[in-house]
Amino acid sequence: MLSEFFRLAAQSILHRKLRSLLAVLGVLIGIAAVVGLISIGLSLEGMMKGEVSKVFGADTFVIMDKDTFSRGHSSGAKQYALDLPTLENVEGVKTVAAIRQRTAFVQGSAGADGKLTQGFFPVMGLSPQFLTEFKAFTPDTKLEPGGRNIAEGDLAVAVLSDELAKRLNVAVGDSILVAGEKSNEIKASVIGILAPSDAKQSQGFSGGMGATTTDTIYIPNAAMGQLWPEGNDFLVTAVRILPGYKVDDVADRAEAALKAEGSQVAAITSSDITSFIDKILSSVSVFLAGLAAISLVVGGVGVMNTMFTSVLERTKDIGVMKAVGAKNRHVLAIFLIESGLIGVLGGVIGILAGLGLSAGACFAINTFANMPGGVTFPFVASPVLILATLVSSFAVGALSGLWPARRGARMPVVDALRYE
Amino acid sequence: MALLDLKGVVKDYPLGQTVVHALRGLDLAIEKGEIVAIMGPSGSGKSTLMHVLGALDTPTDGTASLEGHNLEELGEDELVTLRGKKVGFVFQTFNLIQSLTAQQNVELPMIFLGVRKKARAERARLLLEKVGLGERLEHRPNELSGGERQRVAIARALANNPEIILADEPTGNLDSETGATILDLLKKLSLDEGKTMILITHDPDAAAIAGRIIRLRDGRVVQEVRNA
Ligand SMILES: Nc1ncnc2c1ncn2[C@@H]1O[C@H](COP(=O)(O)OP(=O)(O)O)[C@@H](O)[C@H]1O
Ligand SMILES: [Mg+2]
Repeated sequence: MLSEFFRLAAQSILHRKLRSLLAVLGVLIGIAAVVGLISIGLSLEGMMKGEVSKVFGADTFVIMDKDTFSRGHSSGAKQYALDLPTLENVEGVKTVAAIRQRTAFVQGSAGADGKLTQGFFPVMGLSPQFLTEFKAFTPDTKLEPGGRNIAEGDLAVAVLSDELAKRLNVAVGDSILVAGEKSNEIKASVIGILAPSDAKQSQGFSGGMGATTTDTIYIPNAAMGQLWPEGNDFLVTAVRILPGYKVDDVADRAEAALKAEGSQVAAITSSDITSFIDKILSSVSVFLAGLAAISLVVGGVGVMNTMFTSVLERTKDIGVMKAVGAKNRHVLAIFLIESGLIGVLGGVIGILAGLGLSAGACFAINTFANMPGGVTFPFVASPVLILATLVSSFAVGALSGLWPARRGARMPVVDALRYE
Repeated sequence: MALLDLKGVVKDYPLGQTVVHALRGLDLAIEKGEIVAIMGPSGSGKSTLMHVLGALDTPTDGTASLEGHNLEELGEDELVTLRGKKVGFVFQTFNLIQSLTAQQNVELPMIFLGVRKKARAERARLLLEKVGLGERLEHRPNELSGGERQRVAIARALANNPEIILADEPTGNLDSETGATILDLLKKLSLDEGKTMILITHDPDAAAIAGRIIRLRDGRVVQEVRNA
């Protein structure tokens, strides 16, 4: 009998095409908004987590200043003190790579006028592992032909931007003088010059952690240690763990060991960052869910309105159905199915529209927005979201129809028959 | 025992502060196979009487029974089932469901009684053929003339093969020629199939097909005539 009721309800919807369409439209818009917004939110989350997993494996964590991470690093990373051997000796640590930064007095070659070029420039000390084992942390850097990048075993070498090379009047093979604290200084030979576009776009190796400019001079971290023996100028330190260890355990041990020495640092694993992202996105989700609820209620009111009109318009039909043997619950079922179908119809089209919306947005961002560092927004069609929306669209339809349907079902047959 | 038996039936309708006495103590017994015409001026209680006879409504006072079942003693659902099986209605305004085809309208009473799809469709086609609409199965009410609509309604009234046909001014919305053919059809059906028929009408021609004519006025029987 239920299948007959579905047919009766469907025929009634088709018979009143325009009005049904308007009710469907109300639900559709609500559902499309819900699905579209949440899908875009999921894409955002996917993008962020994708970036995190590109950099962090399950075997990597980073050490940062303890305030930098909790505030988010929008205002730039705070520098911190760190003893590298302490970190290297923590059980489970395989490789450590660090970035330090200072401002140094630097001398280049004599210019055309015969005077030495010199000035204060930011100097970044870079562990060569950042270019090999932790390559994901640094954008691809392109050097001008004839040069090479900092490698393991290097000490008195430097890499700088083409702009700075011109200002210091040096080329690959020339030397520059870098002065550290007290009378520490090294004569570093220039081994590579960053290609112009690269210097501008990526601004070097820091992976967005420090404030680098085209003025920055890159030297090996070992050289940095000679110039400033006291290491209180760390920006970021990346740690890879040995196989068989759990990254969170090693990170906890590292943090404890460093804190015991007075370093104000935090060891951050990918799960820390993921939960940080989730924390940020959860407020976004609450906002989206609120919007979703509002639009569904609006859609529901539309369905309710349609169903009230439908019940009123079919008062006589209700009388006839009851006269020929329909029980109250039959009438109730027919109207509920009708409003539920309107909901589902709006739901199905709305889900498609919402997914289309989100796919379009992802496509547009990926194609036209030219995101830095090759970041892409993955299109996410969450089965859970789709299923939940489908169920709730039926529920919205049926619930909105409940009141009008009950009114129809309870109408005394004689009154319904006399209704004009 | 009579098929339909009313004893001292009173029907009051509350209307604002006052009460409308639609039926004021009515005794009526109708035997199986009878054709009875009920006549009377507008507002005399004819439709109210039909509702009580057809188990659509229960009396305020007195007793009404159908095939020995006292209506007051039946629950809502039992009442619905009883009328679905035993009574077929034909209304002045046809009362077909606009979104359904002729065949689907005829199938409707069978759906609520749980008749299987195939049996239902077969019977609906048979009945529509019987009322001369074998070619109109897929038409919707708005694609049919008034006379055709009333034929569909008659076929629907016969769907569950009821004992009793109740027709409330079935020719009231039809021109006299079409009305006459509808009356012929009703008479033929009730004779062929031995149906008890109660015909409410203003029309003396309609009343002429009845074996008994009952006149109502102000909710009371004022005259009862047996046709020869
Ligand atoms: N639901 C109702 N509420 C109030 N009065 C009603 C109702 N139904 C019928 N009546 C009144 O009862 C009387 C009999 O009505 P009805 O049986 O329809 O008469 P008829 O069919 O002979 O024209 C009329 O006065 C009518 O106004
Ligand atoms: Mg009447």
